[in-house]
Amino acid sequence: MKKVKRLSVLLTATTMVGLLAACGNSSGGNAESGSPSASGASPAASSSAAPEKLKKISLFQSKVEIAESLEALAKTYQKETGNEVEVWGSAGDAYATQLQAKLASGEGPTIFSVATGEEAEKFKSYYADLSNEPFTKDIAPNMALKDGDKVVGVPYGVEGFGLVYNKSLVDPKDVTDLDSFTKTLEKLKAEGKNGLSLSQEAYFLIGHIINTPFALQSDPQGFIEKLNKGEVKMADTKEFQEFAKFMEAIKANTPNPMEVKYDTQMGDFATGKTAMVHQGNWSYGMLKDYGDLGFDIGMMALPLAGNDKIAVGVASNWVVNAKADPDEIKAAKAFLNWLFTSETGKNAIVNEFKFIPAMTNIEATNLDPLSQTVYEATKSGQTIPWALNYFPQGIIVNDLAPAAQQFFLDKNMTGEQFLKNLDAAWAKGAK
Amino acid sequence: MSTRKRKEKAWYALFTLPLVLIFTTVVIVPFLIGIGYSFVEWDGIPANPKVFVGFDNYAELLKDERFLASAWHTIEFTVLALVLVNLFGLIFSLIVTTKLRVRNAARTMFFLPNLIGGLILGYIWQFIFTDVFKYVGEKTGLQSIFFNWLIDPQFALYAMVVVFTWQMAGYTMIIYIAGIQGIPDELNEAAKVDGANLWHRLTRIVFPLLMPSFTICLFLTLSGAFKIFDVNLSLTKGGPNNATEMFAMNIYNEIFGYGHYGLGQAKAIVFFVIVAAVTLTQVVITKKREVQF
Amino acid sequence: MKTMSRTAGNGLLVLLALAFLSPIYLMLVNSFKNRAELYRNALALPSSFSFQYYDKAMEKMSFFTAFGNSLYVTIVSVVIVVVLASMTAWMLVRTDDKLSRIIFLVFVSTMLIPFQTLMMPLMQVMDWIRTNLHIPMLNTREGLIYMNVGFHASMAVFLYHGFIKSVPVALEEAATLDGCSKFGVFWRIVFPMLKTITITVAILDVIAMWNDYLLPSLTLSDKGLRTIPLSTFYFFGEFTIQWNLAMAGLTLTIIPVVIFYIFAQKYIIKGIAAGAVK
Repeated sequence: MKKVKRLSVLLTATTMVGLLAACGNSSGGNAESGSPSASGASPAASSSAAPEKLKKISLFQSKVEIAESLEALAKTYQKETGNEVEVWGSAGDAYATQLQAKLASGEGPTIFSVATGEEAEKFKSYYADLSNEPFTKDIAPNMALKDGDKVVGVPYGVEGFGLVYNKSLVDPKDVTDLDSFTKTLEKLKAEGKNGLSLSQEAYFLIGHIINTPFALQSDPQGFIEKLNKGEVKMADTKEFQEFAKFMEAIKANTPNPMEVKYDTQMGDFATGKTAMVHQGNWSYGMLKDYGDLGFDIGMMALPLAGNDKIAVGVASNWVVNAKADPDEIKAAKAFLNWLFTSETGKNAIVNEFKFIPAMTNIEATNLDPLSQTVYEATKSGQTIPWALNYFPQGIIVNDLAPAAQQFFLDKNMTGEQFLKNLDAAWAKGAK
Repeated sequence: MSTRKRKEKAWYALFTLPLVLIFTTVVIVPFLIGIGYSFVEWDGIPANPKVFVGFDNYAELLKDERFLASAWHTIEFTVLALVLVNLFGLIFSLIVTTKLRVRNAARTMFFLPNLIGGLILGYIWQFIFTDVFKYVGEKTGLQSIFFNWLIDPQFALYAMVVVFTWQMAGYTMIIYIAGIQGIPDELNEAAKVDGANLWHRLTRIVFPLLMPSFTICLFLTLSGAFKIFDVNLSLTKGGPNNATEMFAMNIYNEIFGYGHYGLGQAKAIVFFVIVAAVTLTQVVITKKREVQF
Repeated sequence: MKTMSRTAGNGLLVLLALAFLSPIYLMLVNSFKNRAELYRNALALPSSFSFQYYDKAMEKMSFFTAFGNSLYVTIVSVVIVVVLASMTAWMLVRTDDKLSRIIFLVFVSTMLIPFQTLMMPLMQVMDWIRTNLHIPMLNTREGLIYMNVGFHASMAVFLYHGFIKSVPVALEEAATLDGCSKFGVFWRIVFPMLKTITITVAILDVIAMWNDYLLPSLTLSDKGLRTIPLSTFYFFGEFTIQWNLAMAGLTLTIIPVVIFYIFAQKYIIKGIAAGAVK
């Protein structure tokens, strides 16, 4: 009986809460107490003679790998300037979706990251103009994210991909064109080694490797536009025809990439079972978990149609949310300025985030061998662009990858048929 | 009389209104807004314009072969999952309500898979289907059964059924247990005394009295299978060659991959109408068979 | 003879359960391996059972803050769901008119809507509530609780609805004649009889809410508010996952639920013993 009474008290209380919550308005007062997190009201740790107290801002970005360093940096920033930056967490894959939902909720972040290309295009209506900010003049030529003439985004850094190879198994001199490439694969296969490995993830299966024939067009962006309109076909374009032959050679001489995960791909490479992987400088992060590899590694170009350059581009950019409150925008610009011009900030970009800087005022030091190659290529201009940034939204994962899966699973499919399927997939994805 | 009626109504409101209000703001209103979006062309970015296009999105989805294919995969998957999940759930629940000594431990173990979700689940099972299966196939010579299921369009779908069953069987088990424990012991004991064997006791006593649990479990499995997304994303990502792209994933890709918000919503509405018709029929049918006390 | 078959039954059951659990074995052993060891053999036992990845995972996740957040959100949400859904379902069963049937059908049919299609409009509704009613629905744990209740209402109502029908009306009528209000009837007579299904609802909702990633990821942004699943984001990169930390994190996440489950199922068993009296 006693128990029952207690229960009904609890019930009444909960119902009341339920009712109040449901009627909302009247109880607004007490619920309000939850909100100061969003305002800058809370006093900062250091109140000493900071030049100007800026509003607290929030930052949302896609690279989980730098999340911890970024949180640490935000703490340092607060110590140095007294201003607060709240770093939000995100899981890599779902970043764009989460960003979209958060913007829809009217509680979007003040600073966020966007991938160059279609993603940047998609969120375009949110960018504040950064053209007149002091740090934008230091962005390396052609690296800034622009909307018309306005600079709206600052690159994280540059990244590059190509053939990452084991120097004790492959000599770049033996991989210079389709013939020598195929011969190398055959030779390694005869020795019981795996010549080259792609892996099952959409970008690693097709997205990156198909970038090369696009990038080799005289006007990659124009070519993509024509392809979208159906004015040209990959099947009729020389570079793609050769690309198909490369894919045939890969299919004939290496294990089915559909059975290989990124983890196994890099594991096989690190343990010397695979001689080459089509990968980027980011894969070094995985290799270093294997300790001393016992061999040297390098990165070279995919030698398609005489190509001798690796593909280098800007994967992500920082942008400021123009729909945020003006005081927050001001604070956001101040933070970016600090990040790219103060010694602490510049140091963090290179040594904590391990980015290859895309700023002229930041010198890269202590780079890993793959990043070093990318950095040098960037400085000498020996690069091809990331044409894939201009592909129609979602097409790699949704259309090109299934076509590639079909190619690798169907033993009888020729490269020619593959190209036709890619054309068909493109037509669907570009609609 | 009328005051009593009014009083009744007030009680009715007091009991139901709080939940109905919360539910309305969280589910119903967003759903209605979603219906509205199915008539516009929009990329899903709040700041970008929405253009009213009438029924264009609906017309377009009928021409979308991939959507139709995904609907078919979903049906195939759902039917298989429905049978297996409930079969195993029921068997498990019968086992763990016997007097076997290890029943409590088994109950916990059958239930555990429920707790592993998301990306990790996909990885673990990917590993089992890719590496462990291949290994077993090579060792036993049964390579027609034990090979990498995930690269075969049909078997990849079965792989999803296996994983879903593994996850959900323990879930339905809990509901079946609740049902079985509602059956008075005397009934079973009396039947035993009368010499009824296990099968008779099950079919004559247990199953008829379990009808409410069947209704619930079938419906939960059905709605879970139709909406499946997590396992789809983490295990097959819809591959190979879109052979396992289920309905929810197709919509997700349309909305967030391609940025066709209106079209994605239209797909969701159409599928909702069809699925609601199917499942509600199911609920009505099984409900009729329930034994009322 | 009988003992033998029983031993065999026990043995068989153990085998079945172990086969069923092999994926969990993989999760556990791999939470102790580094990347190289995982690559070499994911099936084998780890070379050492050092808890370094657990330590590291706990530290990175700010485990105790996240644990507190998860606990608060889950418990409050589940209590509200149980209270409101059982009341609603009871009314819907006992007042068998058109309105009740419509409300019930709406609850049930919305269970078929994929969450992904509600995401964006939901955020807009919450934004509307915030700007017009000045209730901070986003980036607060209370807002998440509110949405949790909304999303789990359907299933709870559905489950209660199914079981309330087996509760004899006669008892309620007797109580009403004794002068109990509806409130009294429900809480004194009906609710105690729903114990088994209440625990079932609680178990299912606790699991779902404790492990939920998507909804909290949209509604909670501040670091201090992260629930346990949210705080494991550090381990999931764009292309790769730090398996050992992720699996250690996952193990840490599910241990509390397992404990809760074991505790709750004991309660169910007690429930039957007590139920025999009825």
